[in-house]
Amino acid sequence: MSVHRVESPSRLAMRRLRKNTGAVIAMVVLGIMVVAALAAPWITPFDPTTQILEYSVKPAGFSGTILYKRNPADPQTPSIIAVSTWQLVGDTVHYQDPSGEHYSIARAGLVGSTSDDFVATPTFWLGTDRFGRDLFTRLVYGMRVSLSVGLISESIALLIGIFLGAIAGFYRGWVDDAIMWLVNVVWSFPTILLVVAFSVLLGKGYWQTFVAIGISSWVDIARIVRGQFFSIREQEYIEATRALGYGPMRTIFRHMLLNATGPIIVLSTAGFATAIIAEASLSFIGLGVQPPTASWGQMIKDGYGYIALGTNWGMTLFPSIAMAIGVLVLNVFGDGLRDAFDPKTSQR
Amino acid sequence: MAAFILRKVFYTLLVLAGVVLVTFFIRPPGDPARVLLGQRADSASVSALRQQLGLDKPLAYQIGTYMTNLGRGDMGRSIATNRPVAETILERLPATALLALTSIAIATILGIILGVIAAWRPNTWVDTLTMSTSLLGISLPAFVVGLLLVLVFGVALEWFPISGYVDRGAEHLVLPMITLAIRPLSIIARVTRSSMLDVLGQDYVRTAKAKGLSDASVFVKHALRNALNPVVTTVSAWFAGLLAGTYFVEFIFNWPGIGLAAFSAIEKLDYPMIQGTVLFTAIIFVTVNTLADILYGFIDPKVRVS
Repeated sequence: MSVHRVESPSRLAMRRLRKNTGAVIAMVVLGIMVVAALAAPWITPFDPTTQILEYSVKPAGFSGTILYKRNPADPQTPSIIAVSTWQLVGDTVHYQDPSGEHYSIARAGLVGSTSDDFVATPTFWLGTDRFGRDLFTRLVYGMRVSLSVGLISESIALLIGIFLGAIAGFYRGWVDDAIMWLVNVVWSFPTILLVVAFSVLLGKGYWQTFVAIGISSWVDIARIVRGQFFSIREQEYIEATRALGYGPMRTIFRHMLLNATGPIIVLSTAGFATAIIAEASLSFIGLGVQPPTASWGQMIKDGYGYIALGTNWGMTLFPSIAMAIGVLVLNVFGDGLRDAFDPKTSQR
Repeated sequence: MAAFILRKVFYTLLVLAGVVLVTFFIRPPGDPARVLLGQRADSASVSALRQQLGLDKPLAYQIGTYMTNLGRGDMGRSIATNRPVAETILERLPATALLALTSIAIATILGIILGVIAAWRPNTWVDTLTMSTSLLGISLPAFVVGLLLVLVFGVALEWFPISGYVDRGAEHLVLPMITLAIRPLSIIARVTRSSMLDVLGQDYVRTAKAKGLSDASVFVKHALRNALNPVVTTVSAWFAGLLAGTYFVEFIFNWPGIGLAAFSAIEKLDYPMIQGTVLFTAIIFVTVNTLADILYGFIDPKVRVS
């Protein structure tokens, strides 16, 4: 006797998603970004806060020689000396800094045992910022911030949105009226202004930014969940849970919510992208993640002053491109998900 | 109909009360007076400022005062300039309105045209190009678009000025207007396209074609007119996002509107000014949406019932 297997809607959706070339490419790019963000310390040549003031505001592709000096305070991160030439004579290293001044330092003051250990000529692929920090390194670390903001803020938004949407849709009546009033109040503020408002209220900082974005972006989720629950509530299997004497929490979270996951997932992807933009916008206006932590919005703002000079536009352009790619792939992926979960809306 | 309008207006007032309440709480964390004066200020001047701002009163009293003052059109005084917030907002309103209205006009007109062009021959290169460009337009926040436009058209090509107001020439409007228009334009183009494709698939369009009407006539007279409904919704909904966008655009282009005032207020934590600008934007948004809702009530009787 053969068992007839019925494919679950989510598996069906995943199969449709795999056939969507754009969405698959977006997924791959997204995966690379996540891996790069996780592996940031190993794939970047510098620490994101390492400053080489002699090499500030250098264009993309610049390479300069540096010496690594022992740092007694923190042996893991040696101090860096920018040099134009250097020479090892006996136990002393004589060097010339980029402005032409001559100095010397004891060999023992430098890192390692051979010249391979204490000298390097790294290439700053994307150039440096005004503190001589490597832009590529900061870009990768900025991606960490952007992805964490997306993840954490969206989780907060989902938590609030699902909870409020679910009880509004399940209980209806005055509970629904009260929650919808709250939804309408929050919805009256453009999201980014609400984020700004909460940032003023919570203060500047890493976690404050995540929370401010999270508690500003749950409204769409609550609306969708509520709408879904309105229709799911009328289905027979919900009547069955009542007949079986299940409590409301069990019905809501084990039976109704699972059947509303499609739209929630689609909306979360869009919310993820919006959160990234919100964080960048906040950092751009000086609220949000504070220096010296690298953030794309902040990098764009740092470079903004140089644009009018017509030089070093890379300082603005590279983080802008990074953000555009990030948000674009999230949007493409989200569109793909939407089409996969609901083939009716897919574009002809 | 009168009952419908009355219900809408009453609910709007209820929502606005909530909006005011939220706005009231936009203030620096902890003791605002201490934050404003800094850690080194002596406690006498801190408590003097606290008294001056009314922060020594109970919270309920503060909220009550805030609301009654708002009812009289008094949004408090800016801490930085000591001028009434309402005065500053009204003074800067024309600049922001000029920017917002020209942008939404351009976004609507160009968006509909591009959407119709894309829907005219779906899945050809014209369609693909329009849709992928618009996807990029959606993905870029206004300040990034603005900086890129400054870089290309302001600095590299030197076609347009990159900073300043129209009192120094109308060409100052070009870059800020385009910057602000790109996002709504992209969305309107996409909505128009999908709405057109929906309508074009319906029976009455096939009937019109079968009657032997020309393609162009079917497209414009039968399809476009019916496809515009969701577009109108999009435009009115996007007006709010646009108002928020002006904040960033005004900052980048040094455009003397409400957003620029809000920006300098944020830098100084001048919270009455921040409250005022945020509240003003929210009120405009709520009002526009209520008017749109009422308008729909006139157009579509179904809306009135629900």
